[in-house]
Amino acid sequence: MSAISLDTSRAAPRSRFRLARHRGPIIAVIAFMICLALVKGVSGGTLGYYELSTLSAGGTTLAIAAIGQTIVILSGGFDLSAAVVISLVNVSLAGHMQDTTASIALWTCGGLLIGALAGAFNGVFIAVLRLEPIVVTLANMFILQGVTLLVMDKPGGQIPPGFSAALTGDVIPGLLPMPVLLLAALVGLWLLLKNTVFGKAIYSIGSDREAARAAGLGIRRHQFFIYVLAGALYGLAGVFISAQTGSGDPLVGNPMLLQMFAAVVVGGTLLGGGRGGPVGTIFGAYVLMLVVNILLVLNVPAFYSSIVEGLILVLAVLGASITHSSVLAKTLRTVRRRLVARSAGMLPHQLNLTEYRLRLPAPAPTVQNPAFWVRHAEDLRNAVPAFVCFVLVLVATQFVLGNSLLSWHFYNSLIVLGSFLAILALGQGTVILTGGLDLSLPWTIGCCGILCAGLLKGSDAALIYALPATFAFGAFVGLLNGLGIVAIGLSPIVMTLAMNGILQGVALLYSGGTPDGFASPGLRWFMTAEVAGITPVVFLMVFFVVGAVILLGKTAFGRRVYAIGNGVRAAELSGVPVKSTIVKVYVLSGLCAALVGCLLAGFSGQGSLGMGDEYLLPSIAVVVVGGTLITGGRGSYIGMLGGVLLLTALQTLLAGTTLPYATRAILYGVVVLFAVVALREKNS
Amino acid sequence: MTLTRTLMTTAAAVTLLASPMGAAHAQEKAKVFLSMSYIGNDWQGEAANMVKAMAASKDMANKIDLQVQVSGPNAQKQIQQINAMVQAGAKAIVVYPISPTALNTAVKNACSKGVVVIAYDGEISEPCAYNVTIDQAAAGRVTAEWLVKKLNGKGNIVAITGVPGTSVDTERTKAAKEVFAKYPGIKIVNEAVGLWSQAVARTELSKILATRKWSEIDGLWMQVGCYTANTMQIEAGATADKLKPCAGEGSNGGRIQMLPVNTEVEGANGTYKPMGAPRISYASPPYSGALALKLAVDKLNGKNIPQHTTLPLPLVTNETIKLCQEGTWSEMKAGCNAFKPTLVSNPGWFASIFSIDTPEVGLNAALVGQPEY
Repeated sequence: MSAISLDTSRAAPRSRFRLARHRGPIIAVIAFMICLALVKGVSGGTLGYYELSTLSAGGTTLAIAAIGQTIVILSGGFDLSAAVVISLVNVSLAGHMQDTTASIALWTCGGLLIGALAGAFNGVFIAVLRLEPIVVTLANMFILQGVTLLVMDKPGGQIPPGFSAALTGDVIPGLLPMPVLLLAALVGLWLLLKNTVFGKAIYSIGSDREAARAAGLGIRRHQFFIYVLAGALYGLAGVFISAQTGSGDPLVGNPMLLQMFAAVVVGGTLLGGGRGGPVGTIFGAYVLMLVVNILLVLNVPAFYSSIVEGLILVLAVLGASITHSSVLAKTLRTVRRRLVARSAGMLPHQLNLTEYRLRLPAPAPTVQNPAFWVRHAEDLRNAVPAFVCFVLVLVATQFVLGNSLLSWHFYNSLIVLGSFLAILALGQGTVILTGGLDLSLPWTIGCCGILCAGLLKGSDAALIYALPATFAFGAFVGLLNGLGIVAIGLSPIVMTLAMNGILQGVALLYSGGTPDGFASPGLRWFMTAEVAGITPVVFLMVFFVVGAVILLGKTAFGRRVYAIGNGVRAAELSGVPVKSTIVKVYVLSGLCAALVGCLLAGFSGQGSLGMGDEYLLPSIAVVVVGGTLITGGRGSYIGMLGGVLLLTALQTLLAGTTLPYATRAILYGVVVLFAVVALREKNS
Repeated sequence: MTLTRTLMTTAAAVTLLASPMGAAHAQEKAKVFLSMSYIGNDWQGEAANMVKAMAASKDMANKIDLQVQVSGPNAQKQIQQINAMVQAGAKAIVVYPISPTALNTAVKNACSKGVVVIAYDGEISEPCAYNVTIDQAAAGRVTAEWLVKKLNGKGNIVAITGVPGTSVDTERTKAAKEVFAKYPGIKIVNEAVGLWSQAVARTELSKILATRKWSEIDGLWMQVGCYTANTMQIEAGATADKLKPCAGEGSNGGRIQMLPVNTEVEGANGTYKPMGAPRISYASPPYSGALALKLAVDKLNGKNIPQHTTLPLPLVTNETIKLCQEGTWSEMKAGCNAFKPTLVSNPGWFASIFSIDTPEVGLNAALVGQPEY
């Protein structure tokens, strides 16, 4: 290989290159140090062994779980079931572990095994059946949530104190806490693993799946074990949280899901795979946990805490942007150059140039348009399974509950209930088509709903300015998201997650903790009245769906969205204005959320804090169930609409029964999984 | 190096900004922390306002220095927060616990350092912690019994529960179901998860009503959502005298609906108006945080406080409902328990704010965090 001959001459640049390659984790370490220094500096307290060991135990669960998530993300995947596995292992241990060495050993292994099994379940569907990771893990999340509640329906149980002390205590008192040793051991194992074929496979599958296959890697086998390994790590996190808390709680892990992604991204791992690693993630996790201490030492008022948290998240990631080649630096340079060019009168439109455009030969060659079915074959194939399952659910509803299949009232309710998701699906779906994700939906909806109701205060006349103001707010939120992503170069997950936190603070500040607005009679009528059996919003939905199909299918904007999703670089080279399109996509998502906020305020009569909380995961679920690829580029609005109808009908069916929540969650997950398995059958 | 320097500058700037907020004037006062898990819903906002008002009241303002901190819905973070509060020199920590069990180790550690830990609304099962709660099982039982009596032991009911997997929801629902099981004529025809939110109750009821008519339902047992259920019946064309009996939460909208039809109420609008709705109204009272703070301060002053304070169930029925004019504590003491829409424009607002033990906090405390005196 020629590399040998180049070795000496390239020695210097190479070491710099290696440093650059590790910049992600290095930034995370620096961010961690700064946070620690901040806590120490402002509090003026001591930062001795005791404090450090407490801190180290506090972040361990998140760190371990996030390592598992990192491995999945490195391989180009996504795991939404991670947090629930932690809860499941926690309740399993709390219900069974006895205070004997044998039982402790048995159930520690049991915890890892439960995690590995949950991972194997994901692995089978993702690696063997080749389904979309996000939708498999989403379905698995619902199933495991149900199983967790079946194991334990409320907090309780006991973990032997000796076990807790062993895992959270000291290895060498005054010198080395157990959690640090545990994390160090995991890092050690990772470094060993990284140099095996499996370790290299993780990176290569994430970098370029086809190239990895061409290089002779057994993709399926490796992918399967990636999920098993990740599952075992979530299991370990569950074991640790059991030791840390000394008891069981069926909801303990659930809120860690989004934090896990944040930890991965702060730790410098690239979403989409191929770059990064667990070391950065560990420090990312500790940065997120230290936010709590920072808020405390700075005495941040309660309503501002989520805003500050969001800003810290952005700052921690922004650290990576303070280099010459970062997106932010490029943006700043471009802005400066344009300003210089403008003052010098050198901008293209200031120069009065004659226009040279490539023109198609005239007359344009006539190309025979393929038949409708041929042109839309792929979209239809992807959309059909959702509709087929929808019909199956309808039949089941008729069978179980009666008076539905032929009752207009049933369909009317279905459309009203589905309208929120159908609108969100356009925003979230378009964002996903470009390869992004909008996590700011919950509080964009919440803020907009509270704002809309707050401006209305029950007056129909106020609709004239309340609606435009709310839409303007939604669009502004989307604009900020978009600019954060294209101009500063933040990853969509970080930007929108931070935005969600900031908007929560904004909603609290605007409402003073108790939103006081309420919807006007007109808006309530629009969402709840029935004119000849039809609720007015149904008409809006007809127009909305037609508009959405045209927007994505027939306009230049729609084609640009698909082009970006299929490959940013290729799109850029084909002349697609990538940045402005991405900004527009997030603005669209913000507008959709604003519309949903207003409609929800009309539907429930008032705006309330947290009114959008139930819509984030469903908005993603309907998009992927409808056949959209989470990595972007493939999918259609009609498919998403099928997803909306399927999930709404399924929820209506389940709400009509008296099944316990746990069973419903499991059924919900199984049906979602079934829908995507059907999708795959059509594809192959 | 540029990078490190820039970040350091940022950090320094943040520090500078923060220092005026710091503990300049808090030298002799006892440091008391409020650890709220989550603040993104109406109940939490109201409870936080009442705690702040209590801390600002005349007797307390010069004794303690209260810092309110929010950790988010993640138990891990609340553990970390409690640890940090102990390190910051807390004398007492008032906690809204995200989990009754997950905080145990952290709380035990705090206790061993001599910190008074007191939880409100939710419970902490660690024995050294003090708790201020209502009897959740009794809440479920009493409301279920009321509903059974109202229906004469016979009828189809719809149950809307809270957040699955929490002790509060499990205990309330279990106790209520035990009551219903005793009456063979009572049948739960639908059960849905309402997440303690009027908005969710609305969606869930809409789903149920997609396949079931109001005429097939005789009564409702809801943890939150009676206001919404009554509203939906009116929208569906029912008259006020045909409303189904509903056992549920203590939202002000629901309370106003309980008033006799012809009561004069300023600012009544839409379905936020008196309609004589057959109701029993109960709630986890949002004043529990304020009371917990008061107890914690009592404890710091050397008084003995009970390990577990069980608050009286704030039950209101059509017989005991009474409109307040101003919402002062003394007025509520005289027995009023519903507030005019001109004062409380959000019908989802929780109206159970009266406690005989907290004369410091009234309506203004719950709304804007201002104490009575």
